[in-house]
Amino acid sequence: MAQVDEALTRKVADLARLELTDVEVRTFTHQLGEILKYVDQLKRANVDGIEPLTHPLDLATPMREDRIEAPPRDAAGKPKILTSAPDVLYDGYKVPPIL
Amino acid sequence: MNANTIRQVHDAFDQKKLSPTELTHEYLKAAKASKHNAYITIAEERALAQAKAAEQVIARDGRVPRERLPLLGIPIGIKDLFTIDGMRTTCASKMLDNYFPPYTATVVDRLEAAGAVTLGKLNMDEFAMGGSNENSAYGPVKHPTHSDRVPGGSSGGSATAVKAGLCLAALGTDTGGSIRLPASYCGIVGMKPTYGRVSRYGLVAFASSLDQAGPMTNSVEDTARILQVMSGHDPRDSTSAPRPPGDWIGALSKTPDWKSLRVGVPKEYFVGGLTGDVEKAVQSSLKWFESKGAQLVPISLPHTEYAVAVYYVVAVCEASSNLARYDGVRFGVRPKEALEAPDLAGFYKRVRAAFGPEVKRRIILGTFALSSGYYDAYYKRACQVRRLMAQDFAKAFEQVDVIAAPVSPTTAFKLGEKTSDPLQMYLNDIFTIPVNLAGLPALSVPCGEDSQKLPIGLQLIGPAFGDEKLISIAQAFEQGRRT
Repeated sequence: MAQVDEALTRKVADLARLELTDVEVRTFTHQLGEILKYVDQLKRANVDGIEPLTHPLDLATPMREDRIEAPPRDAAGKPKILTSAPDVLYDGYKVPPIL
Repeated sequence: MNANTIRQVHDAFDQKKLSPTELTHEYLKAAKASKHNAYITIAEERALAQAKAAEQVIARDGRVPRERLPLLGIPIGIKDLFTIDGMRTTCASKMLDNYFPPYTATVVDRLEAAGAVTLGKLNMDEFAMGGSNENSAYGPVKHPTHSDRVPGGSSGGSATAVKAGLCLAALGTDTGGSIRLPASYCGIVGMKPTYGRVSRYGLVAFASSLDQAGPMTNSVEDTARILQVMSGHDPRDSTSAPRPPGDWIGALSKTPDWKSLRVGVPKEYFVGGLTGDVEKAVQSSLKWFESKGAQLVPISLPHTEYAVAVYYVVAVCEASSNLARYDGVRFGVRPKEALEAPDLAGFYKRVRAAFGPEVKRRIILGTFALSSGYYDAYYKRACQVRRLMAQDFAKAFEQVDVIAAPVSPTTAFKLGEKTSDPLQMYLNDIFTIPVNLAGLPALSVPCGEDSQKLPIGLQLIGPAFGDEKLISIAQAFEQGRRT
């Protein structure tokens, strides 16, 4: 079983872009440990030659015509996709500088 | 309110005993006065406008045009996981506290196009993660009749609202049991259709290969009526099965051929852990099927023991991926602290502080199981066991037509009873999870009460796309057991 310690919890939290307090790191490390211990029973199953099932339906990705459709706009003419944007500049999402 | 079903309401409208605005007004009043915390948003003006429009249709036609508008004037609550254009949608999370979607979920669109009145958005476990509706950022929902107990989750608000008379019917979603469990705990009907029969467009994603929308109602008949309107292929959902809606209403009048009906009883679902009253109620239901002439067939679903383990790998992995979109860029909250972060990673972290603890826990678990070095041992292996579980069901359905089982080992537990041990909470889902993993249809129909008058649900599971047969059997059961 994976060694679940606080270092691992911190590393995974960082990957998931989550910030944990020291108390949370301790609690989650303990809970993660318990859950992974429980999940480890999957090792007992015989999965030789078994294809993983990732989706219940056997579907091919449906294709549609490559046709441009005008974006829906609200009463004021603003693209609706920007309705809940935290910050907008012209027709774009305004974000803090990343460099 | 004496009219408890869609048909009764339409009869009352036709007989001029009740008008759509009167009915909607009554429900809005009840919703606002209730202490259950079932609603996050009540859309009073919009609902009354819809009710008014329904009234005008009835005035013009002289009656409810039931063929054309099968849900005309019917007040419905929508779990706050479905988007509605211009209506606040929170998924019970602080992350979406200020989110107003620019589009409406297909299933809501279809219900409203059929004349339904949307009363508002119902409380739930945050991002559908939970089994007790104690994980909402907007406070827990109370059980409809026993206020010290949970309604079940994650569609707890939906179940409470229906049972407590705060809406006539509700939409919920089910990823690991989130329709069936609260339906069982609250004493209403809840159905999860076969994966793909109902569109997921506008259903905020938790686990894309498991999530399904479904109705929560006071009767099997209403479940069928709503699914008739909701179901069928949606070109906007690439996981929508390329099938027409089907005949749910026709299924209501098809009495099961009892003599040829084989009811599977999975032995792994009855090995200890069931509380006495639950076992008694389920066994009594099985005896009822037998008394009608059906054959009870003992079956085995040998990989059942792995269900919770598989789910708490697969679902959390999908969740960690689906919830990566909450980054404060295009929607959701963007707190001042995030803007003051020293770098991009810091910006994301401070935005994502808005998640509640259960959501964080599952994201961390899922990120871990997908990460380099652990992917094969956890995610891949879980998916392989998932296939074994789906095969268990396929084999069983060669011998039986329907599987009958409990929904939960217990009835509704007390608020706070299981919140300190996540694993204890997860084990509640043991009977509901396998169905989602296999993509099968299943419903919960009330079958009894325990000594404290807490409801108990009977679970009926069908083969893929065999939903209508479940409706027939559940209808016969509900009507036949009415004493």
